[in-house]
Amino acid sequence: MDWNNPFIHSVLVIVAITIAFLSIMLLVAFTVLAERRVLAFIQGRVGPNRVGYGGVLQPFADFIKTMMKEDLVPAQSTKFVFMLAPMIAVVTAIMAIVVYPFGPTITIPILNWSFPLVIARFDVGLLYVLGVTSVGVYGIALAGWSSNNKYSLMGGLRSSAQMISYELSLGLSLIGVILMSGTLDLYSIVEQQSGWWGLNWNIFYQPVGFILYLISAIAETNRVPFDLPEAETELVAGFHTEYSSIKFLLFFNAEYINMITVSMLATTLFLGGWNGPGVAQFPLLGVGYFVVKILFFLFLYIWLRGTLPRFRFDQLMDFGWKVLVPIAILNILVTATVMFLTGK
Amino acid sequence: MITSLLFIVFAGMAIGCALGMVAQRNPLYSAISLIGVLLSLACLYVMLAAPFIAAVQVIVYAGAIMVLVVFVIMLLNVEDEEPRRKRLAFLVPTAIGLATIMIAESAFILYSVQASPATPRHGISNVGLTASVGAGLFTKYLLPFEITSVLLLMAIVGAMSLARRSNTLSPTARVVPGAQVLPMDLVNPLSTGNTTAVETNSTAEAARLMGVEGHSDREK
Repeated sequence: MDWNNPFIHSVLVIVAITIAFLSIMLLVAFTVLAERRVLAFIQGRVGPNRVGYGGVLQPFADFIKTMMKEDLVPAQSTKFVFMLAPMIAVVTAIMAIVVYPFGPTITIPILNWSFPLVIARFDVGLLYVLGVTSVGVYGIALAGWSSNNKYSLMGGLRSSAQMISYELSLGLSLIGVILMSGTLDLYSIVEQQSGWWGLNWNIFYQPVGFILYLISAIAETNRVPFDLPEAETELVAGFHTEYSSIKFLLFFNAEYINMITVSMLATTLFLGGWNGPGVAQFPLLGVGYFVVKILFFLFLYIWLRGTLPRFRFDQLMDFGWKVLVPIAILNILVTATVMFLTGK
Repeated sequence: MITSLLFIVFAGMAIGCALGMVAQRNPLYSAISLIGVLLSLACLYVMLAAPFIAAVQVIVYAGAIMVLVVFVIMLLNVEDEEPRRKRLAFLVPTAIGLATIMIAESAFILYSVQASPATPRHGISNVGLTASVGAGLFTKYLLPFEITSVLLLMAIVGAMSLARRSNTLSPTARVVPGAQVLPMDLVNPLSTGNTTAVETNSTAEAARLMGVEGHSDREK
């Protein structure tokens, strides 16, 4: 097989994208279910357990139910933008998944095919992720504006302000890792963490960067304790107050896909991606490690939601600009100095 | 073949969005079209083997600057503008004239670039790669880079100081006498963080406490 033939390459990439898309959608469905069950466990309730074995089919039932709802468009809204906003949100969320390497180079023995388990590998993979997420802000901002509803507008403004502010500390927290690896290519960054029986992870060199990233990522995905944009008690449902049916579903999906991609980035940059003991012998084990690490972060999200109260908006802004950004800059400074002194 | 097809798609998108940006009446639609232009340009940069420039284009222009523009449009709540064709009619011939000059200029530049033998046509350049941009910024172009940074910083500080409302009472302001309880840092910008309450019974006393000089009590 000639991998460089553009036609064969395109077909393979399309197949890979389809598989990745379907698995992400399934993961979203089961994350929603897991969230409801784990939250119920934390709060001493039972949670949805009737549809299918232990409630396995609950997300699909919810999906059908939401699809059947009437698709309302407010009379005073800006119709075109109102339609466009959920599309932007979900498309940018999905676009980010293509650059993450989910396994090492594997070889199929009989056919003698050998390829790395990554859909698109390019020089600036990390910047691509940041760029796509920064465009995702429009989905929320435009949704809030076009609904022509004060709660939506407040939610949209809050959300955009929050995402812009925390994007800064998110980007700065990654620079330590970039300095150490000397590349923006996610596949190379993962490969560099393969020492020590697959435990040479960046988190051991960049603990501060990891914590900063984690906090900023939670804020970036608008989750508890940073879920100001959809604070029910004051804003009804925030930017998606006016959305129903499939459009609401798109926003809902976008939020969970964002959670997954953010977890993927944390895994890739700080927890060694697909690295772990035994991956050198059994490459497919790497995919398992990658999934397990993502699931850990998703559990963390749910755990936090069950545990923490919400910030106040001024506290949120103060925390982002006056605590996270200075620490992130200090982290870069220390990393650069240590690297210079050790001549690495 | 695929490359030229993609070029036509993205160039078409860029031109279409640019026309949309100029033609739209609603400023928000113009802003969205401009975002479309910037994204298509980023795709064209990727095709020109300059992935770093493309990523920066998306992050800085589409992701940061245009978000602020959209923010301003959303907050200002602009009305639908009325066309003022009569008063601005002279702009139409002016625009046509300027456009002609512009097109002629670009055609000339394209022609001279094509004709010049010094232009490398088939070499792979590394101009748009992360390493070359970084090395250029921190060695050859260090001074311009730093000066630009300082310039931007000055702009930010200037905007802050202009937009920040002054807390000082003007000499003509009237302070109502009575039991007013105000934190000190609210009335006097010099004592930031001082939340001691100020209680006054007369305007003159209030002015003295707040450090407002030359305040004349209108009650007299």
